[in-house]
Amino acid sequence: MDLAELAAGLHGITVEIASDGRGAGAGVVWAYDLIVTNAHVVRGPRVLVRGADRRRVEGVVVADDRAADLALVHAPGLDLPTATCAGDEPLPVGSIVVALGHPLGVPGAVTRGIVHAVGALTPGGRAWIQADLKLAPGNSGGPLADARGRVVGVNAMIVDGLALAIPVREVRRFVQSAGVAVS
Amino acid sequence: MNKLLDLSDQLAAAVQRAGQSVLAVHGRPRLASTGIHWRPGLIVTANHTLQADEDLTVTSPTGETLGVTVVGRDPGLDIAILRSATPPGAVAEVGDSDTVRVGHMVLAVGAGPRASWGVVSAIGATSARRAASDVFSLDLRLYPGFSGGPLIDARGTVVGVNTSGASRHLHLAIPANAANRVIDAVVRHGRVPQAFLGVSTQQIRVPEGVRDAGAEGRDRAVIVVEVQPGSPAAAGLFVGDVILALDGVPITDPLDLRGTLRPERIGERVSASVLRAGRVVEVSLTVGERPDRAR
Repeated sequence: MDLAELAAGLHGITVEIASDGRGAGAGVVWAYDLIVTNAHVVRGPRVLVRGADRRRVEGVVVADDRAADLALVHAPGLDLPTATCAGDEPLPVGSIVVALGHPLGVPGAVTRGIVHAVGALTPGGRAWIQADLKLAPGNSGGPLADARGRVVGVNAMIVDGLALAIPVREVRRFVQSAGVAVS
Repeated sequence: MNKLLDLSDQLAAAVQRAGQSVLAVHGRPRLASTGIHWRPGLIVTANHTLQADEDLTVTSPTGETLGVTVVGRDPGLDIAILRSATPPGAVAEVGDSDTVRVGHMVLAVGAGPRASWGVVSAIGATSARRAASDVFSLDLRLYPGFSGGPLIDARGTVVGVNTSGASRHLHLAIPANAANRVIDAVVRHGRVPQAFLGVSTQQIRVPEGVRDAGAEGRDRAVIVVEVQPGSPAAAGLFVGDVILALDGVPITDPLDLRGTLRPERIGERVSASVLRAGRVVEVSLTVGERPDRAR
């Protein structure tokens, strides 16, 4: 697999989420017609979801956790392939990661970098995947993937130029606690 | 074959390998910098990150805190050498930095380890670090605390010492070979000797009439405003002399003079192109070592 193939695969599982009449961010197709995104991307109970095939469907926010900055959106009729997620094995510092999203309104843009560190920014803080990778507003909620194309995190914010993603383990926990039947 | 995965594994292995000789250096308030266990017991870091000479500690890759002492500083290169009685982890594998070319893939490693990835974007003196040494300009982010850490190639071999000391936006690395010369001096003399001529200078505009005569069209040079008695300069320079070049290297401001006078030139003869009484003359001088009291 080269970067182009990997990007094409990620493109298929990444959606655009517009909320409150504004193009806001990205999302990952986590299960059939179910999207994971950041809580700060969804601004109301209903959102518009657009996949790589440019079709737009309406989605309903079925769970959100502002503290974890995660939300789950049900988008019936989206009918897109679902993401393959990495396991909980450690992500080595220096390994390649790739992000897909809509930075500054550029739809489906790919950026590449490496794992900078994994863990909290300050002692006792929340664990992040810290990536040496370019993110911009519009990447929020989109996938961060490893060199195999497996999703390792959900991009959430930029601090001092460092990309921060929520580890997939935490996303899995959130989806389970939401109690939504995942087929 | 998965080329991207192979590259990813290679980069991760390089960071893991180099990380075994990367230390956190506690030499300033709040933000620790990075150091490299360069030779047994000797640690290289960025001089600007050591704000004191005493009560310095490092944290080894295994998390031990060790006391260290400063054995030499080279502010021109932004290199400082520390000594630890207990070897802090593995000794880095240091490569020949002359083999590095523009476009080579490199990683910067900080204590932790943390890492960033990019390429060498230029090799040569920059306006911020004139003539001191060729430096690597990096297309790579040096995150807070990365100064003093290793620039490594894709095999994990150290090829430079990272520093953002010149400017927050200018990411540079001092080539490993230059750092080796500083360490050699420390091993030989027990300190980093500073080259010394014994002149104070000031930048001036070269008078138009002589620009073509011997100044090769340059419009800036330095004028000697003080010559220390008994210094190397006293053997041939006078107040009022205008230094145009040193061994053919143009001198356009006092920093150039300092940058050209590297420690390894102590004891060597250099030829100064001097504008004196309207004529360009060559003055031969022997580079001395800065006396302790003048440091």
